[in-house]
Amino acid sequence: MSHAIDDLAARVEAVESLLVEKGLVDPNVIDEVIEHYEHNVGPLNGAKVVARAWTDPAYRQRLLADATSAVAEFGFGGAEGQMITAVENTQTVHNVVVCTLCSCYPWPVLGLPPRWYKSPEYRSRMVAEPRNALREMGLDLPAVVGIRVWDSSAEARYLVVPERPAGTDDLDAAQLSKLVTRDAMIGVARALPPDAAADG
Amino acid sequence: MGGRSEYFGPIVREPDGKVFHARAEGRVFGISAFVLALLGRNLDAFRFSMEQLPRDIYMASYYRRMLGGCERLLVRAGYLGPDEVDARLEGRQAGAGPRHGSRVRLAVISTLMRSGLRPVLPQWLCAHVLPWVFGASRPPLRGRRFATGDRVRVRDRQAPGHTRQPGYVTGKPGIITAHLGATLFPDARAVGRRARPQHIYTVAFDGNDLWGDAAEAGTEVRVDLYEPYLEAA
Repeated sequence: MSHAIDDLAARVEAVESLLVEKGLVDPNVIDEVIEHYEHNVGPLNGAKVVARAWTDPAYRQRLLADATSAVAEFGFGGAEGQMITAVENTQTVHNVVVCTLCSCYPWPVLGLPPRWYKSPEYRSRMVAEPRNALREMGLDLPAVVGIRVWDSSAEARYLVVPERPAGTDDLDAAQLSKLVTRDAMIGVARALPPDAAADG
Repeated sequence: MGGRSEYFGPIVREPDGKVFHARAEGRVFGISAFVLALLGRNLDAFRFSMEQLPRDIYMASYYRRMLGGCERLLVRAGYLGPDEVDARLEGRQAGAGPRHGSRVRLAVISTLMRSGLRPVLPQWLCAHVLPWVFGASRPPLRGRRFATGDRVRVRDRQAPGHTRQPGYVTGKPGIITAHLGATLFPDARAVGRRARPQHIYTVAFDGNDLWGDAAEAGTEVRVDLYEPYLEAA
């Protein structure tokens, strides 16, 4: 492999053209895979799951006991969702997820990970100085809140269930789901305040 | 990379929230899905293939690393010649890989891949079939050594090669907080070696035990570790 040519676009085109000529890949299916991960799966899936857990105590119990099955109730599952574990934030424990070895991430509920989640900076710092890293990302936790960092290094993929924001008692699950962001489900942010539900 | 200060630096969020930032990233992702299905290779073998790349390629970017990992697997399987991609880029002729694809196999793989590309899938499929297809959980052949609440220590690395044991927990004491069943063992699976399924445990490490004086107050790290990585403490 030449080190000189590091143009990803040219290189992937060369690889794809070779593989198509050899009958190893179908470019139309590649288009559909891209389309799927751009439009079908993403944090809106996880937001529905969290909003239901906030509004349905029996579902919350099922989610915390076996998130793979609870998420399957919505029809979500597949690659990188073989063993989903939900971890719930409380007033005294804040959960945050990282993968120090690569970039393991619960695709069926969050989609593909953002670039910063895959960065060496996030992966190295979040286990060693989570309080500092979270503060830098805009989440300043009081000292009384313990931080539990989940390094997803094996089979399980973690989904953070953020705390339900105050002042949301009159919102239904559909409205609540608008408050649940990707970053809140990774654990680097809180859920949005209730006025965000009115937008969009 | 956990705790390695040479990588410390600002965590930069991207504003646009795009899934793929360039057409090439999506192409690499789609090609990788095909290559793994085609070769019947598991994620551990794919990760190991990426780990063996020259360091500048490994560190170049996520998708550059993924593409390099695919190329390595295809060369080893005989579908690509060792110099074939570079030759194509430079407009030269080069020895092609000896193997060719089969039309039937491509059609089968394409159909299987397409079948999963839907916004929602049947509940039974998500709960019972897909975890088996994409995961490595298997019935354990032996009972487990540790129980929740046991104190353990992470052993020194037993052998070079692929592992899912993060360097920063090696030698550190922790407490088992959960048992996650058993799966095929990545260290063996990455090189196609047969090994019995291994139990996985979630182990909680106190920040002070990991980082000493540098630890932040009130922090812990939980890591899922395979039984061979652990010894009683």
